[in-house]
Amino acid sequence: MYELIGVWCVVLLTLSIFSYLYGDNPFYKAAEHIFVGVSAGYVFTITFWDTIWPNLFGRLFPKYVGAGFSFDITYIFPLILGVFMLFRLSKKYDWLSRISIAYIVGMMAGLKFYVFLNSNLLTQIKSSTVNLSGTYFSIFNDLIILVGVISGLVYFFFSKEHTGALGKISRIGVYFLMIKFGASFGFAVMGRISLLIGRFEELIEFSKPEYYYSTPVTLLIMIMIIGYWAYKDNTKPLEK
Amino acid sequence: MTKLFTNIKNYLIDLGKLDRRYIFLLIGLSVLIPLMKPNWINIPIKTTNNSQIVFNELNKLNEGDRVLVSFEYGASTKPEIHPMSVAVLQHLFSKGVKVYTVPLWPEGLMMAKYAIQEVVDSKLFNIKEHVDYVSLPYKAGGEIIIRGIATDLRSIFTQDVNNILLKEIPMMKGVNRVSDFDFVFDLSAGVPGNAEWVQFACDEYKVPLSSGCTSIMVTDAIPYVESGQIRGILAGMPGAAEYEQMVFKYLNSLDKNKYMNPDIAVVPGKATSRMSAQSIAHVLMVVFIILGNISYYLLRRRAE
Repeated sequence: MYELIGVWCVVLLTLSIFSYLYGDNPFYKAAEHIFVGVSAGYVFTITFWDTIWPNLFGRLFPKYVGAGFSFDITYIFPLILGVFMLFRLSKKYDWLSRISIAYIVGMMAGLKFYVFLNSNLLTQIKSSTVNLSGTYFSIFNDLIILVGVISGLVYFFFSKEHTGALGKISRIGVYFLMIKFGASFGFAVMGRISLLIGRFEELIEFSKPEYYYSTPVTLLIMIMIIGYWAYKDNTKPLEK
Repeated sequence: MTKLFTNIKNYLIDLGKLDRRYIFLLIGLSVLIPLMKPNWINIPIKTTNNSQIVFNELNKLNEGDRVLVSFEYGASTKPEIHPMSVAVLQHLFSKGVKVYTVPLWPEGLMMAKYAIQEVVDSKLFNIKEHVDYVSLPYKAGGEIIIRGIATDLRSIFTQDVNNILLKEIPMMKGVNRVSDFDFVFDLSAGVPGNAEWVQFACDEYKVPLSSGCTSIMVTDAIPYVESGQIRGILAGMPGAAEYEQMVFKYLNSLDKNKYMNPDIAVVPGKATSRMSAQSIAHVLMVVFIILGNISYYLLRRRAE
């Protein structure tokens, strides 16, 4: 029974979101608000019970929480910083939240600096070199990467006007960047089509008699309601 | 003849002004028809080099090796990533590898549960929780959690997803940090994702890493693949379909595998059946892009 209710909710919400293709309408608005509300509620609940409760309170009140951690008084500092963050809501004491933000920014900047330098800068420079001991094909590939990296970097060098040789190298960099953007766009399209396939698959599955023809019935009801709504509101056309 | 060309030109220009809802409709039909009638179109799937590398890397693992599988995707990206999750888990369980799942996205917790459940429900493998796999709970923090797993896993995780203390789970013995794993497999749809695993754990601690990710992430992940920091990559739904096919052939080729139930038939995964719809939609998109460009070019020339 609960599964069936879930199926009908899935179909209704999916079709409500798809209804935006026709125009902005109450079904879409309702589905959008439900999505935002449920997502926020889910993330808050899971973060509190899976992280804050065991990892923070579990160390401050180990016997009560029973998460397997031993008592650690130093965890009072994360608790204080967390409470400070909530002072964003107060006009008088919102300066306290800056202490927490400063800690997060400082800690992440330090951590990111090291890992970025190691994994993205040094290793990527190393992998951009041409391995002359490889096959002709691999050397050719390495050369393309090298030319792409150098010309791409030149394009982002703004201390000198892009004229003459610098302009030509920069132009090659633009072509490499355009190829990258084209590839990204192609992959983005592929990703979006995959999501559409996922939704359609479920809608097809839920059209079966064991789900009481959930998809066609819901679709028909929605078309009738949107049609009636558009007819009643025909002086104000739907936003395309 | 000139009149005919003018008519075609005008028609192409008008095509550029087409209401976008017709394009939505056509794309919708191009996806819907192959899904409803899969026998109508059957486009073969060719294995790419990066998918083959992933398969080879996981195939090198031995019985009892430990693999950490990280789930960083949710309901919205499930169609792309979930088939590869199931295929990867099937591959690992068929080799007697110990699997440790960790969700780094809130929804990843559910996705890990569904993927494991799908493999367990298929009854294809003789697997038991806490003997063959352990599911760790979600922890908020993204890359900080990855860093924590890299340095001291027990400082973050003390219980599994069922609130069983890790010290009471035999397969958690000797698992304290990322270097205690033989391999990390990342299933990601954003941040934190494969880049964070490279930066915060696997590069520094020299743990081999492979990844399956959404199509949109591939171009950003490829530099790590080229440099060997990520060993192969499953790129979106095509990557999932390729991997499914490789695992399908591999499982069918196994003769008397002690980890598999001989009475249960191996069935191909879901991504393979979705690829026809994907290909048709792409062809249509290419046609739209070409027509759009011609229309724009003609319109610009007319304006000049």
